[in-house]
Amino acid sequence: MNNRIIILFLAIISATGVQAQHLEHRIQAGFNIGATAPVGLPNTIRKINSYRPEFCPSLGYELSWRPAKASEWGAAVGVKLDYKGMTTKDEVMYFHTMITMEDGSGKSEFEGAFTGKNKTTVRNAYVSFPISATYTPNDNWRLHLGGYMAWLFSANFYGNVSDGYIRNGGSLGEKVNVSEAEFDFGTDMRRFDAGLQGGAERRVGKKLRVMGNLSWGLRPVFPSDFRGMDFPMYNIFVTLGVTYRI
Amino acid sequence: MYIMTHIQSIRLLAACALTAITMQACIKSEPPNPEADIESFTVPDSLLTGDVFIDQSNRKILLYLDPEAFDKGVAPVITTTKGAKVSPASGDSIFFTGQDNVYTVTSASGENRKQYTVEVVSIGEWDWQFEKWLIHDKDKYQYVIEEDGGQVWSSGNPGVALSGVPKRPDGYPLRATEDSESGTYAAELVTLKGTVLSNLVGIKLFAGSLFLGNFDVSNAFLEPLKATQFGQPFTGKATRFTGYYKYTPGASYQDREGNILPGVTDSCAIYAVLYTGRTRLDATNIHTSERIVATARLPDGSGRGNFTRFDIPFTYIPGRSATKEMMMAIVASSSKDGDQYRGAIGSRLVVDSLAIIQ
Repeated sequence: MNNRIIILFLAIISATGVQAQHLEHRIQAGFNIGATAPVGLPNTIRKINSYRPEFCPSLGYELSWRPAKASEWGAAVGVKLDYKGMTTKDEVMYFHTMITMEDGSGKSEFEGAFTGKNKTTVRNAYVSFPISATYTPNDNWRLHLGGYMAWLFSANFYGNVSDGYIRNGGSLGEKVNVSEAEFDFGTDMRRFDAGLQGGAERRVGKKLRVMGNLSWGLRPVFPSDFRGMDFPMYNIFVTLGVTYRI
Repeated sequence: MYIMTHIQSIRLLAACALTAITMQACIKSEPPNPEADIESFTVPDSLLTGDVFIDQSNRKILLYLDPEAFDKGVAPVITTTKGAKVSPASGDSIFFTGQDNVYTVTSASGENRKQYTVEVVSIGEWDWQFEKWLIHDKDKYQYVIEEDGGQVWSSGNPGVALSGVPKRPDGYPLRATEDSESGTYAAELVTLKGTVLSNLVGIKLFAGSLFLGNFDVSNAFLEPLKATQFGQPFTGKATRFTGYYKYTPGASYQDREGNILPGVTDSCAIYAVLYTGRTRLDATNIHTSERIVATARLPDGSGRGNFTRFDIPFTYIPGRSATKEMMMAIVASSSKDGDQYRGAIGSRLVVDSLAIIQ
């Protein structure tokens, strides 16, 4: 995987030699703030007690092209290292879950409905490849809109449930009180994510700009056969940072 | 001025993007309650010989009734999950005329129904051959019933079912075996390795257990030692505890953390405890309670290749005397320290023809 990324990166760099006059190179740095979350909270989530972004740097390189130096429209491709994460504490009711774990000696599964408190920490590292159409109306502003593909290379999705009860099998199952139990769904996560992204940059120096960029995953982060949560979750993050033209 | 503009634009960008996320984050209205439990079932104490037990795993109300109450019927006061409805209603009289008394609970959401069958438990003969076994519908573990269908024995199986073991009888530590001393079946108790899930809560092995009493699954995670509710109402004077067993300790004894302790051999436990009162003792106090009047325990839990008979007189504790209300517990385990999650995986105990001689 890493080799492929390096090769792609080199290919982008070497492409710059072809039509250097219309190309711009930028380094991007910032932080991702957002959530891996359902789009529209299911009614089993009763209360969000806290939300905290994790330390999620974003660092990338962007190559943009315009037909002529003064053109308003252009295109850009990039490669980014993106950490996406958060910690939330919430309260849930009748929350359906199925926990499947495997080790050398076999598989164990538990399915049930949980009512109580939940804490979830997500911290995933992706290599992302954004592709955008760019619009540069003037020297101060630059806007872009497009899509991205991303490969997950380090996954963390874990937490605990506490102060509640779980019902074996579902809502009609026998009630089992829970003081605290851990879960870890990191290895269940999909390795590939894709979605839409767009944002704007505002010039603040000769080569320096501040930027904000929203990326909205369209692919649930867990595969369809994953039953730890019975609703799809998506990566929805904003990158706030700077770009520097090189 | 110039700087302000930039801070404002950053704010603007951030605000736009975050609004898009937070717009989605609205809490919806609470789902209607889908649960339909009978949470309590109260009959006046004077009518009972033992505390009522609601077996949530098997959806049974176990009643231990005074003979007079059995003849006249009872009018239990019932509480359910909030918003659920129960039929027959709380306070209605039920009679024990041979037909099953079945309570139907309908959840507040209306979609879910749960039926509980009332079972009046009484032990005629304190003598068991372990011939009749049933398989739990959902979790597929075996449990033993009386000739008349009554449920007086229990085990840790309902708790083990929560840990994601394979859903088949031999996935559980207690099951029937045809390796019997008399009749077709005997009870086989095997100490099994914990699962990946049970490891998360620090349980590395499950000892096989079989006991007179009930398993309270609601305590299985929080206070597992209180989940095993030992004992059934007993009248008369117990003199001896008899039965047959065979035992093979597993190869490697391990401590709670799963470390193998070289040179330690597992042993089994088989004992009977007679105590006063109506409320069951559990694994936290079955050896220590002040209510204990007499005990009979297998002195040596080491390996026995063939069925071996035991006949142990009850030892009455001086200064403690029987009262009108008594309970008798019989407990067997394939690993004596199984309640501390210590033992040897593979230890196998078979018991048959257990009896309390009066």
